[in-house]
Amino acid sequence: MKLIYSHLQKFLPDLKVDPQQLRDDLTMIGHFTNYFEEIDHQIVFDLDIKVNRGDCLGYYGLARDLAVLYHLPLNDLTATGKLNLQSLPALPITITTDKVKRVMAVKISRIHNQISPPWLQTFIKLHGTNPVNLAVDLTNYIMFMYGIPNHAFDIRKSGQNLIWEINPKYTEFTSLDGSHLKLDSHILMINNPSHALSLSFWGGEACAIDLDTDEIILEMAIYDPATVRQNSRFLKSTTEAGTRLEKNLDPDTIPQAFTDLINLILEHCRGQISSQVFDYYPQKNKPKKIKFDLNQPSQISGINIPSDFALDVFARLGCLIDTHPSLSIAPPSIRPDISISADLVEEIVRFFGYQHIPLDQPLTPKQLPDITPAQVYLSEKLKDNLINLGYDEILTWPLTDTFLDENTVVKTQNSINTEAVYLRQSLIPSLKHQLDQYQRFKLPPTQFFEIGKTFFKKGNHYIEKNTLALYHFNPDQLTTDLKKLHLQPQIIDHNFAEITLDNLETPPQYQPQVNSHPAYELNRQIITLDANINLNSRQNPKKLIEKYVQKIGLENLWQLTITDIYQDKTTQTYRYTFQASYFNLDDKTAKNIHLKAFGLK
Amino acid sequence: MASIKQKYSQQIFNLDNSQDLEKIRIELFGRHGLFNQLFTKIKDIPSDQRKQYGANLNQTKSELETILNQKNISPHQTSTATKINLPLFALPKIGHLHPITQTERQLNALFKSLGFSVYTSPEIVTDEYNFTRLNVPTNHPARDMQDSIYIKEPEYLLRTQTSTIEAYLLQAQSQQLPLRAAFPGAVFRNEKVNRSNHFVFHQYQAVVVDKNITMKDLIGTMELMFRTLYGPSAIVRYRCKYYPEVEPGVGPDMQCFSCQGKGCPLCKYAGWIEMGGSGMIHPQVLKKAGIDPKIWSGFAFGMGLDRWTMAQNKISDIRTLMGGNLAYKPNQP
Repeated sequence: MKLIYSHLQKFLPDLKVDPQQLRDDLTMIGHFTNYFEEIDHQIVFDLDIKVNRGDCLGYYGLARDLAVLYHLPLNDLTATGKLNLQSLPALPITITTDKVKRVMAVKISRIHNQISPPWLQTFIKLHGTNPVNLAVDLTNYIMFMYGIPNHAFDIRKSGQNLIWEINPKYTEFTSLDGSHLKLDSHILMINNPSHALSLSFWGGEACAIDLDTDEIILEMAIYDPATVRQNSRFLKSTTEAGTRLEKNLDPDTIPQAFTDLINLILEHCRGQISSQVFDYYPQKNKPKKIKFDLNQPSQISGINIPSDFALDVFARLGCLIDTHPSLSIAPPSIRPDISISADLVEEIVRFFGYQHIPLDQPLTPKQLPDITPAQVYLSEKLKDNLINLGYDEILTWPLTDTFLDENTVVKTQNSINTEAVYLRQSLIPSLKHQLDQYQRFKLPPTQFFEIGKTFFKKGNHYIEKNTLALYHFNPDQLTTDLKKLHLQPQIIDHNFAEITLDNLETPPQYQPQVNSHPAYELNRQIITLDANINLNSRQNPKKLIEKYVQKIGLENLWQLTITDIYQDKTTQTYRYTFQASYFNLDDKTAKNIHLKAFGLK
Repeated sequence: MASIKQKYSQQIFNLDNSQDLEKIRIELFGRHGLFNQLFTKIKDIPSDQRKQYGANLNQTKSELETILNQKNISPHQTSTATKINLPLFALPKIGHLHPITQTERQLNALFKSLGFSVYTSPEIVTDEYNFTRLNVPTNHPARDMQDSIYIKEPEYLLRTQTSTIEAYLLQAQSQQLPLRAAFPGAVFRNEKVNRSNHFVFHQYQAVVVDKNITMKDLIGTMELMFRTLYGPSAIVRYRCKYYPEVEPGVGPDMQCFSCQGKGCPLCKYAGWIEMGGSGMIHPQVLKKAGIDPKIWSGFAFGMGLDRWTMAQNKISDIRTLMGGNLAYKPNQP
């Protein structure tokens, strides 16, 4: 979400904090702020808003938090009280579904719609939306400021008889941007008796406001968030309104936001109110009292947080504090995320500051019964034994594009990767794929293994087997190694073997090796070059290898071996043949390094 | 095909000179070799079997090529000149653990020293353990934080987080408290595979349930973990963060190791990198496991391992971690 400093100051006129500090403070109290930048002379912050803080999808919610943090007064934009419009006619609005939590609506006539002034266009653009016209842009402005979506209907097109209902008959809907959507019977809609007009989270083309519009119905509503979420997912449509309406928004904030919207329309589009304000609010919010112990913030945080601080935060948050017979706190309706005492503790600790919690006091060691499953020890032991035999561990995809047995294969329903549809039934195909890849990179002969799950379906049950598979370029050595490890494979496929580990004897406990060996991302084929070096005497091959490893340098060398030693009896010299493999180098560079290292240039 | 592979792999294995090896190569892969002959027969195969025949043939050819290429014969083994009776020399082949396993073991060792067990649980899980027991009921917007891969929607899916292991653990151990357990594990999300995203990645989580556990215990322990992994100069901050299964929630961010907090593309110009999530276990999560939150409290934290492992090994593409171009130098630890 974008946040423009100057518009935030409309709620917090005394806010003078340096933008860098504001960015850090917003983050620390839970609103992760990626960065801020200056655009069109405005300081704009980029924030990630927590899923449970629908109120902070508007400036108002964030301003309320900052007012608590900085001890600043909060300026409610609206100066007017309740609108007194009893003498005007009522709007003929019908609501037939319990998915509507609250709706306020009013008719405004004789408006002069036009292109928005530059400040409004800038505001709308900075929030990633296209300016449309003054009336529409003002509705969006209020949505961004309060986090509550609202909508304007052109009465010439929609009529006044609006109906909030679950889709009674419509099969198609055209949204404001011209998208054609196929509807089902669960969609929450706003219609008139004969036409589909709007979805709960997206206005319709049929009653769009244009520059000729002179009479509108403004509405602001909050719905059952699950319904909006389901509708939005079903229609695969995400809108700014939908993102907000699928959160728990506060119906009690509507009067303030709606009054501000009306005032803005009257101020900028002129016109006059020509109906009573319709207000449908069947189940009013009741303050929820939470019993609270003022010691809890200290007990849970582990640091001393004074009771006075906690009470001050509650008061600034707008909580009702009742001390009789015992302390209870009723959070304000705009904070439906606060429902238990742990939520209240979080409020206290975040405003007190997580940075006051010491970093240097971890848990002290404690002897507790070991509940590590024996299979874990077995896997760790096998891994150590295998690396001690020279095998490398690999990890491969647990999902594949093929199966071995269609009767037992476990298939995913919605994987978006066509090459990852089935859960693997054997590790060997994955190891074969790995071998293919190694060959493509011209890796010298190798040996590797994987320990992972294989998956099977039996009736309505899913079975996971702990499985080991290994490969050795020399099948005889593979057999020898399996014997050394006392493993009897269920599958032997030439150079590959696979063993289910679940029935093996497990060690009582095992302390695995901890080491740190680098792995390398190969970007090119390994280049292997030979070099013949004539020497006057026999050499210690290990020392010779070490000498040339040093000359070549480890950063380019994959492997160095002596492949042959040849004694020329006539000259009494020894010819050593080296094979050097280079990685992530082009041919020319590898050759240059090779020639230089062996003195062949 | 199987008999061809068996016959020739045995022959290749028994060879002890390069001339015979070359003969076999020509016999198999030469212009008039066996495989070219078999490929020309494809046209005679019934059309419904042709695809399978071609696939089998290609696979057998590839496997025999591998075996042939990996047959290592000294070029002078048949030389008539004096030959030193010395085996070919290379430093011994060293085996390696996958870098993810290395990181897991490093963390396991740390947590074991604090009295933690290492736990595990299934990868195919029910909605109950993946969401409901973790305080994420149906239609909760937090479900949008994770795109699940379903086996049988809505009941069975691949676990999307290691917190699912926590749900199993709490239920299994609810009568054997206190407990300390850590668990590495693969988790799954329905992401398109590319350089930056994968449908499977690795997380590490630790859980403590005891009496009088505090946020100070949590943050101190996380700090110890980060210093163990990243060294004493790592700068980590702890801030308020939302996860449905914890309250209060804590988000550790590490100062970006690429720009030292100045802001760069790696940290999306935030100067900080989000390292995971943590917090005090939500009372509802304890209750659902049959643990009385008035008596017991606890913390949980989890972090991804893939990004760190990539940075440690200078790996630029997440696919490398589970792909064929991750390799280890054969003779170097």
